[in-house]
Amino acid sequence: MKSFLKLAALSMLVHVASAQTLSHKIDLPKDSPVALLSADFSNSSATARGGAYVVDVYASLSLRNTTQRRIRGITLAVYAQDVAPGKGSVSVPSLDVAPGATFSVRIENHLVRPLSSGASNPGVEVKLDGILFDDLTFYGPDTLESQRLMTKWEMEARRDRDYFKSLLKTAGTEGLRQEMLAGLSRQSDRKGPGVQMVRGRATNQDAEREVQFAFISMPDSPLEASEGTARVSVSEARAPRFSVRNRSNRAVEHLEIGWIVKDQQGREFYAASMPADLKLAPKQSGDVRQEASLRFQQPIAIQSVTGFVASVEYVGGEQWIPSRSTLATQRLRNLVPASPEEQRLLQIYSKKGLDALIEELKKF
Amino acid sequence: MSTRHPFDTELALYAGGDLRGWDWVKTAAHVRGCEACRVSVAAFHLDQQRLLDSADDMPAGLNWDRLASEMAANVRVGLAAGECIGPVAGRESQKAIWNWKPAGAFAGLAMVFAAAWWLNMPTSDTAALSRAFGFVQEDRGPVVEASSAGIEFRENGSVLGVSTSAAQPVVTSVSFGGSASARYVDDDTGQVTIATVYVQ
Repeated sequence: MKSFLKLAALSMLVHVASAQTLSHKIDLPKDSPVALLSADFSNSSATARGGAYVVDVYASLSLRNTTQRRIRGITLAVYAQDVAPGKGSVSVPSLDVAPGATFSVRIENHLVRPLSSGASNPGVEVKLDGILFDDLTFYGPDTLESQRLMTKWEMEARRDRDYFKSLLKTAGTEGLRQEMLAGLSRQSDRKGPGVQMVRGRATNQDAEREVQFAFISMPDSPLEASEGTARVSVSEARAPRFSVRNRSNRAVEHLEIGWIVKDQQGREFYAASMPADLKLAPKQSGDVRQEASLRFQQPIAIQSVTGFVASVEYVGGEQWIPSRSTLATQRLRNLVPASPEEQRLLQIYSKKGLDALIEELKKF
Repeated sequence: MSTRHPFDTELALYAGGDLRGWDWVKTAAHVRGCEACRVSVAAFHLDQQRLLDSADDMPAGLNWDRLASEMAANVRVGLAAGECIGPVAGRESQKAIWNWKPAGAFAGLAMVFAAAWWLNMPTSDTAALSRAFGFVQEDRGPVVEASSAGIEFRENGSVLGVSTSAAQPVVTSVSFGGSASARYVDDDTGQVTIATVYVQ
């Protein structure tokens, strides 16, 4: 028994001895609208386990708004090229940081790489990718298309706050309470299966069939999508393509389609988004296709796929997003995730109550 | 009708069609004339049917990747243990060379290693390391993945992921553009943080 305990203790010591401090670098441009007040990486670690590096990044950055404008959102890019491929980012939308005020951003990443790939001194680099201000102007290199995403989140935030404020006016506190309760209920019911996205075709060799997918009618959308098809096999849908017509009087340069998948038991879930850069002059039509595969982690017999126009960007950067009334149709309301702002307001209601929510709405 | 009621085991075997010979004749005769035993046989029938039905259903929330990696790991451990301790035909002549002490010491070491691993290593790390060493069949290209546990980007055995033990994401999603996102909401402040991993 003694020798067993000694061996166990030795094994633990080896584990502790192999842990390294994680080197990190935070790169903010000289004219950055935010200043770094502090960066706490103390809980981060890089550990050689067997034949692999396991790097856990737990960081908290404290930043100050050094401009005279209010900050609505920030995106930081996280690179760990010596450790893991790809790149990550952390975005905080729905902010309201006054000039001179401070705010914090948390980063939690988990990286694994075989030692054989040559990594010896693991490190993480954090760079500012973009900041969105309350006048919708943007600062940053935008390598991750942060401007488009943060502008969309901010427009959704304004739409949803306006909706809740108007509901408070017309239906009173009880109407707002009922809407919050319904939102919380939808949020807890909206759990879909795990999904993977693979470039090209995944390893699935099952026989596949071509499935036509329908689009939900959205009369206020500047785009009309039609003639959608995808190759579908068990638990996998790939190579989607569809036609789209710009029915507005403005030129369009980007669009995003939401995908709803229905299985053979009749269950529906929001499966993925499909962005596409496509320049369309007013009244012009075009085709969109993607050579990627959507694969479910659980076996799911896909019966049908339905698409809807989730957002449109006009030339110049202005965006269209669906109105609350369009999203209020039964199908979309239950399937499409709430905006980040609605989730923030739901959490305030859930944690602090209706009065705190009303106070929060009055701030904007 | 026989006066003694059959035992439950006999009724269960009879219900399942597994009773043979004289026992079957005796039990069948009794069941024909005994209401209580007929009810028991019907109940056993119903249980069998429910068992068959439930065997077709998979448990909710089953994680196939994790199950596959755990099964692969268990098979390997089983094979290794079998090699260490199992009697193998054709080794009789080696008995004089091998004695139980080295094998016991090796098994002890393996137990210590397994215990240390189990105590120290989160399940997500085990899965990631399995992929890193190629124990799990990997996709040919880069993969981004979103599930209720978080998001991951994987390529050639390397992993970049976001998952916290403190909170579950309220929303996860993948994009055909080659990214996966997870939204977290701070319990106290409501601040929303969106983590994203991208294919390069």
